[in-house]
Amino acid sequence: MSEQTKPNTEASANAAPADGPLLNVEHLRVSYHTYAGEVQSVRDISFHVDRGEILAIIGESGCGKSVTARSIMSLIRKPGEIKEGSKITFDGRDVLSFSKKEMRQYRGGECGMIFQDALVALDPTMRVGKQIMENLRIHTNMSKSEAAKEATRLLGAVGIPNPEQRFKEYPFEFSGGMRQRAMIAMAVACQPKLVIADEPTTALDVTIQAQIMELLKRLRNEDGTSIILITHDFGVVAGFADRIVVMYAGQIVESGTREEIFYNPQHPYTWALLGAVPRLDWQNKQVLRTIRGTPPDLIAPPKGCPFANRCELCMNVCLEEDPAYTPFSTSHKAKCWLHDPDCPQEVLEEANQFKVKGGDPLEQ
Amino acid sequence: MAKFLIRRFIYMIITIFLVFTATFFMLAAIPGNALTGKIAKLPESSQQRIIQKYGYDKPVGERYVVTLGNALHGDFGESIVNAGDTVQSILSERLPVTVRLNTQQIVFGVIIGIVLGVIAAMRRGTAVDYGILIFCMFMTSVPSLVIALIFQLTFAGSSGLGLPIIGWPSGDELWFGGWQYTILPTISGALFYVAGYARTTKIAMLDSIYQECTTTARAIGMSESEVVIHHVVRNSFIPIITYLPQTIAGVLSGSLFIERVFSIPGVGNYYVECISSRDIPMVLGFTVFYSCITVVAIFASDVLYGVVDPRIKITGDKR
Repeated sequence: MSEQTKPNTEASANAAPADGPLLNVEHLRVSYHTYAGEVQSVRDISFHVDRGEILAIIGESGCGKSVTARSIMSLIRKPGEIKEGSKITFDGRDVLSFSKKEMRQYRGGECGMIFQDALVALDPTMRVGKQIMENLRIHTNMSKSEAAKEATRLLGAVGIPNPEQRFKEYPFEFSGGMRQRAMIAMAVACQPKLVIADEPTTALDVTIQAQIMELLKRLRNEDGTSIILITHDFGVVAGFADRIVVMYAGQIVESGTREEIFYNPQHPYTWALLGAVPRLDWQNKQVLRTIRGTPPDLIAPPKGCPFANRCELCMNVCLEEDPAYTPFSTSHKAKCWLHDPDCPQEVLEEANQFKVKGGDPLEQ
Repeated sequence: MAKFLIRRFIYMIITIFLVFTATFFMLAAIPGNALTGKIAKLPESSQQRIIQKYGYDKPVGERYVVTLGNALHGDFGESIVNAGDTVQSILSERLPVTVRLNTQQIVFGVIIGIVLGVIAAMRRGTAVDYGILIFCMFMTSVPSLVIALIFQLTFAGSSGLGLPIIGWPSGDELWFGGWQYTILPTISGALFYVAGYARTTKIAMLDSIYQECTTTARAIGMSESEVVIHHVVRNSFIPIITYLPQTIAGVLSGSLFIERVFSIPGVGNYYVECISSRDIPMVLGFTVFYSCITVVAIFASDVLYGVVDPRIKITGDKR
């Protein structure tokens, strides 16, 4: 899979001529107002997605990755709130100040979304074909029969056998994998520039998982569509993503290219996550690493590093002050006190032992 | 499907038969009937003759067999109180009145109820929502009889809008026209349904508003109103539509008091009179008539479920 090392160059050939990244998220902060207080789900994150790039956002439940995905689509609803100062730019335009008309064009037309559980994400009482048609009818001026034809073609294109028959069926008549395929057909119906896949394979078994990922990859390779993949599973990311963003407690703790994250991870949380993925070269000799403790309460986030109380290498400073990002290359950065020039030598030595041996789990 | 229909049809026949039987024996168990009062002042021998003519001298069992046999041919007998009246003649004479009253009540009540329910669901948590909630609670707790009387007092006659206190259009205006007579009975009878449907609609709407598929619909660019029309209302109408036949059945018997208060010559009014005067053949006949409507309505509800909700398939298989 080394041909994907530089996807930007291969995709830029067929991408729109506009400059800069397709999507730019700056200082995004999202809070949910609950009875217990303001839950700061996403706390000041910035990242970008290039044209034709697959970006994976990885993190455990509740780290804010789905909220991030929904923010990009501007789908945050009360009691949620995208805080002031957040900036989301799509193709050079400010998403958060879109008019209703622009938003209508943007959602579904320029940016499609695939949800985790297609059984609940599809309307249970509407024929699958009709739901795909809805998207086409909103964004194109196709007639009903043209839209029906196109929807049938899309169902076939995502690998659903006998699409004419399936077009008329209801979501509950589809198998899990077929439903997810239909969901993908719906999201890509209007050839969006960006597809956000929010845990698209979590509800599926491993074989189907691989098929769905293959389908998404084909989408990128053939149409140059950018993809944001939200997941908690490093195994899914391994053969798929160009760049990886690791989120923890509403923050990005590390981001870099796939190679940088897998072969040269720099944050203890990334080490811990990678250590929790079973690998073929272990040959049952190694115990899977687990991460003790639970993520911090985001109603009152700790003033220091949010991972400090779960970190094996926690120092005093970690509890006192939130670390800044340390860049390792133009694309790779991590947010940890270990990389501070003042970090004591013995901690660094301990860290070296603790550090997982890098490597792509799929390449063994 | 055919298997289901046949099985349900047999159940319906059994239900109606049981209603008939139970009603017959309960009426027989009550001492006295319309006849007793009517002939009390006649000489003994005449009393005997009249009782013989109506067949009340025979044992209950024999009477049951005869009545059932006649009923199977659609003959429930003649009214004791109003000689010459039969169930059929009363229905053909009075049913149009009742049907019009009820149609107006249902159309008005269900539409206003659904609209209020949708508004309450869309504006949930606001003063509008609470206002509708309080209104619904009030309307559910106060019997339509009381509301009818209050309406007469406030809006009818010399007070208020000068609407007629009682009466109902007849002749050429039987089906259409004479609206001033119909306004108060329609509204006072419909308010209960407004309340019921507003609550049902609101709950069903809230169920589907929070469905994940509304987020999907938003994510393909649908505006809020399109989401509500295409997905929320669609799904929340399943419980509402399937409840409708039972409302229709309920209204037919539920407007008994409204018909009485406004002196409307409908079936309900007549039914109440029959019951209070113990006009046994007529009570039996109308009871069977109402139970037929109810049974058919419940059946229609079940079939509608299968039609409206694709996830429910009607088959003849017993589970």
